[in-house]
Amino acid sequence: MKRWLNHLDRILRGEATRLGTLREDNLEIESGGLLLVILLLAMLYGVCMGFFAGFGEGGPFFMQWLAGIVKVPSLFLLTVAVTFPSLYVFNALVGSRLSFTAIFQLLVASLAVNVAVLASLGPIVAFFSVSTTSYPFILLLNVLAFVVSGVLGFAFMLQTLYRLDAAQRRRLSALPETDGERGERSAETLESRQDRKQSPPPIVAQSVEETGALWGARGLRLDRRVKTVFVSWMIVFGLVCAQMAWVLRPFLGKPNEPFQWFCPRESNFLQAFWDTLRALLS
Amino acid sequence: MTMLLAQIDDILRCRQAVQSRRAGSALRWMVGCILAFGMVYGAVMGAFGGICGDRLWQAVYSAVKTPLLLLGTSLIAWPSFLVLNTLVGLRRDLARATTALMAAQAGLAIVLASLAPLTLVWYASSGDYGDALRFNGMMFAVACLAGQWLLRDHYRLLIERDARHRWMFWTWLAIYVFVAIQMSWVFRPFVGDPGAPVEFFRREKWGNAYLVVAQLIYEMVVH
Repeated sequence: MKRWLNHLDRILRGEATRLGTLREDNLEIESGGLLLVILLLAMLYGVCMGFFAGFGEGGPFFMQWLAGIVKVPSLFLLTVAVTFPSLYVFNALVGSRLSFTAIFQLLVASLAVNVAVLASLGPIVAFFSVSTTSYPFILLLNVLAFVVSGVLGFAFMLQTLYRLDAAQRRRLSALPETDGERGERSAETLESRQDRKQSPPPIVAQSVEETGALWGARGLRLDRRVKTVFVSWMIVFGLVCAQMAWVLRPFLGKPNEPFQWFCPRESNFLQAFWDTLRALLS
Repeated sequence: MTMLLAQIDDILRCRQAVQSRRAGSALRWMVGCILAFGMVYGAVMGAFGGICGDRLWQAVYSAVKTPLLLLGTSLIAWPSFLVLNTLVGLRRDLARATTALMAAQAGLAIVLASLAPLTLVWYASSGDYGDALRFNGMMFAVACLAGQWLLRDHYRLLIERDARHRWMFWTWLAIYVFVAIQMSWVFRPFVGDPGAPVEFFRREKWGNAYLVVAQLIYEMVVH
């Protein structure tokens, strides 16, 4: 367990994703162990979130608390399961050199960052959950925590993508060219070749102290199509995650309402978000 | 005593001695300062209704709650500060950054304690509970400004080393203020209405500071 936590620490510090480390086609992380850490951190956030059910009006509602602990990790894992196949397929379609393993590891590492930030916001959410009786406020605070952690997770993913691409180009340029690669190179567009002539990829050895996990991609290049696929995927991931949260609701449990594992199918996340905002302000 | 005064002087003058001392030892001193000086101001703040009979408990409660407010807020906000610092690549400076944060907290407590005599004079001059609340609010505002000033000074060295510390400085302030406002709402009453019973928490009226403010603004705008 300690080893996997160290893995997470290396990812957060940016050690696992610096150019010097990314010699191969992957991040050199143990995805299995990291997934377990993700699971535990998500459950930890579920515990903090459950304080609203545990210490709220008419409580404690232990079943609702338990439901939150189970549902937070489920939310992330299900969203990844739903969106990962399309990410891999579209990534391969646009000719990215990232392998299946590399994409999966990138996704796991980004999710680890996302969940680590979320868990670190847990004490704040727990404190407000204990001291506030307003359901709309706590709901929106949780949405805010998820959004902040999600944005940082995405920023990490994009940053690491730049570095992975740079590391791979550096490795390819160091290898002697095979016939196949020569053919592949000749199939490249004139535009990309001209681009490369004008600005050779400035790959410099980075010191992790100088960069961190969210900094340092300045000066690195990334294929526009690959970037488009990833950015589009991030938007899709965000939307799917939001809707998945809506499907898995209730996470908090409205005060004075009987416990239920799932609510009936109705409306959607964005509609509910708007309604909650209006309820808070009215 | 001389050592304590030297310590206070180092904190208030943002001497490098605070940063260069071992983090553990510096933190112990600062937590001690927060506890001691926070308790001094808290006791004075809670003495509005007098210190005879039950009212003494209000002074005791406020003396306990004031350092709790400062330390509790830092404790709740720190995990996210740790993770964000790590993510932006500033983990190597975490001990120094934490020392700076605690120095600012200690400074805030010292400033509060230095304002305690003024509060006593105010209490002796006016018996109005609303005025006492406003006066204490003003004292806290002054101490917070001083604390922010100290934090900026303690952070200056870090920002000179790496400009990204500026982002973390503002991030900390945002998180800290967000939590501190609710924390002070939860911990009320600090002054204690002489007409109301003495209590540690207004458990049944915890509520949410932001919602109360939003409703007040809404009512002001609409009516």
